[in-house]
Amino acid sequence: MGSAFRDRTAEFRSLSQTLKKIGAAIPSVHQAESDPTSSKRSSPGSSRSEFNKKASQIGLRIHETSQKTARLAKLAKESSIFNDRTLEIQELTVLIRNDITGLNMALSDLQTLQNMEIADGSYSHDKVGHYTAVCDDLKTRLMGATKQFQDVLTARSENMKAHENRKQLFSAKNAAVDNQNNAKAVPEPPPWSSSSVPSGNLQQQPLLPPVNSGASSGSQLRRRSAIENAPSQQMEMSMLQQTVPRQESYSQNRAVALHSVESTITELSGIFTHLATMVTQQGELAIRIDDNMDESLVNVEGARSALLQHLTRISSNRWLMIKIFAVIILFLIVFLFFVA
Amino acid sequence: MKITALLVLKAAPETTDPVILANASDVSHFGYFQRSSVKEFVVFVGRTVASRTPPSQRQSVQHEEYKVHAYNRNGLCAVGFMDDHYPVRSAFSLLNQVIDEYHKSFGETWRSAKEDSAQPWPYLADALTKFQDPAEADKLLKIQRELDETKIILHKTIDSVLARGEKLDSLVEKSSDLSMASQMFYKQAKKTNSCCTIL
Repeated sequence: MGSAFRDRTAEFRSLSQTLKKIGAAIPSVHQAESDPTSSKRSSPGSSRSEFNKKASQIGLRIHETSQKTARLAKLAKESSIFNDRTLEIQELTVLIRNDITGLNMALSDLQTLQNMEIADGSYSHDKVGHYTAVCDDLKTRLMGATKQFQDVLTARSENMKAHENRKQLFSAKNAAVDNQNNAKAVPEPPPWSSSSVPSGNLQQQPLLPPVNSGASSGSQLRRRSAIENAPSQQMEMSMLQQTVPRQESYSQNRAVALHSVESTITELSGIFTHLATMVTQQGELAIRIDDNMDESLVNVEGARSALLQHLTRISSNRWLMIKIFAVIILFLIVFLFFVA
Repeated sequence: MKITALLVLKAAPETTDPVILANASDVSHFGYFQRSSVKEFVVFVGRTVASRTPPSQRQSVQHEEYKVHAYNRNGLCAVGFMDDHYPVRSAFSLLNQVIDEYHKSFGETWRSAKEDSAQPWPYLADALTKFQDPAEADKLLKIQRELDETKIILHKTIDSVLARGEKLDSLVEKSSDLSMASQMFYKQAKKTNSCCTIL
C-alpha cells in the first residue's frame, strides 16, 4: 500500500519567504531573536544534517537488506532437489544476519544521538517530534525486514523437510508395502500446496500436490501407483477402511471451506482498513481545499474594499479636480483679459 | 445444478429390500411419457443404493448422468439424485437436514413400516424445490457466495474512492491557483490605490 506522500517543500519555502518579509516589517522584535537563532542554526545545523545523513544511510541499508531477503526468498522457493544451491543460500543468510545486527547497532546509535539532542536544551517540539518520528519509522522498517528474513528461513526449513521426505520416498520405494502405506498415511503437505487453495471434491486430495519439477512429477506417478496397489491389497481387509477416507474427505471438504471463508473474511477486513486509510488521507485534502478557499475569499474581499476606496476617492476627488480646473480656467481668462 | 429426486428409506440391515418411507421427485423436465418410467427408475436405484450403504456412512454413486448420494443413519437412509454439478457437500448437508426433519416429524414410527408408504410428505416436496439452488442447503456455500459479492462491492468502492482522491487532488490544485490569483489581485488593487492619492 503506497502512501501518497506529497512533496510540499516548495510551498513551505515560499511560506517561509513571505513570513520573513512580514518579519522584516517588524524588525525590532525579531532582530534580537534572529541573531541567536542564526548562531544556533550554524552549530546544530551540522549536527542536524548529521542526524539526517545517518538516518538516510540507515534507511538505505534497510532497503538493501530487504532486497537481499527477497532474493533469498526466491532462491529458497525455487530450489529443487538436483539444483542444490545450499551454499549460496547459506552465504546470503549469513550476510543478511550481519547486516541486520549492524543495522540494529546503527539504529541504537541514532537513538542515543536523538537523546543527546533532547537533553541538550529545550528545543522546538517540532524537531523533537521529527527525530522521534524518523527513529520510529526506521525501527518499524527494520522490524519488517527482520520478520521477512525469519519467514524466509522458515520457508526454507520446510522446503528442506519436504526434500528429505521425497528423498526418503525414492530410497524406500523397494521396501515393503507397509512402508509405502506409512509414507502415504503420513500427510506430506508440501509447502506450496498449503498456500494454494486445494479444490474440493477430491478423494485423493492429500496426495496430489501441484507439480513443479520433473522429479516431483515422477514421484507423483509413483505415488499414484502406490494408491492403486493399496486398495487391492486392502480389499481383503475390512471395507470400512475404504469408506473411512471418503468420510474424511467429506469433513476435510468442510474444513477447507471454513478455512477459505475465514481467509475471505480476513481479506475483507484488510480491504476495510485500506479504505479507511484512504478516506482519512482524502479528508486532509478536503481540509486543505477549504483553507485555500478561505484564503482566496479573504484576498478577494480585501481587493474589493481597496477598489471601492479607490472608486470613492476618485469620485470624491473629482469635485476638487473640477474646482482646481475651474480656478485654472479662471486664471487663463484673467490672463487673456489682461493681454487682450 | 438440479435435484431430480429425494427419497427417505428404511434400510433394513438384513437382505430385505429397503422400505420407502417418503418420496419426492421432480420429473417436469422429462417428456410426459417418460415420467412414470423415470419414477420407477428412481425407486429402484434408490432401493439398491440404500441397501448397499452401510449404517452411519455416506456414499456417492455415479449412475448414468446422475450422482446418487446416500446417507444412512441408524437404519434411516436418505437418498438424493443430483446431477454432476451439484456440490457434494451441500448434497450431504441437505440429506442431513432431511433426516433430522423426518425424525422430528415422524419419530420412531418408521421402524415398524413394512411396505412402501404412499402418502406424500410435503416437507420433502418443499425441500426439493427449495434446494434446487445448492447455496440454500449449504450455509457455508451461501456465506462464501455472499462474501465474494461483498468483496466485489468493496473493490468497486475502493476504485471510486481512488477516483474521488484524484478529483480532490485536482480541486486542491485549482483552489491553490485561485488563492494565488486572488493574492495578486489584492496586491494590484492596493498598488493602484496607493499611487493616485495626490490628485
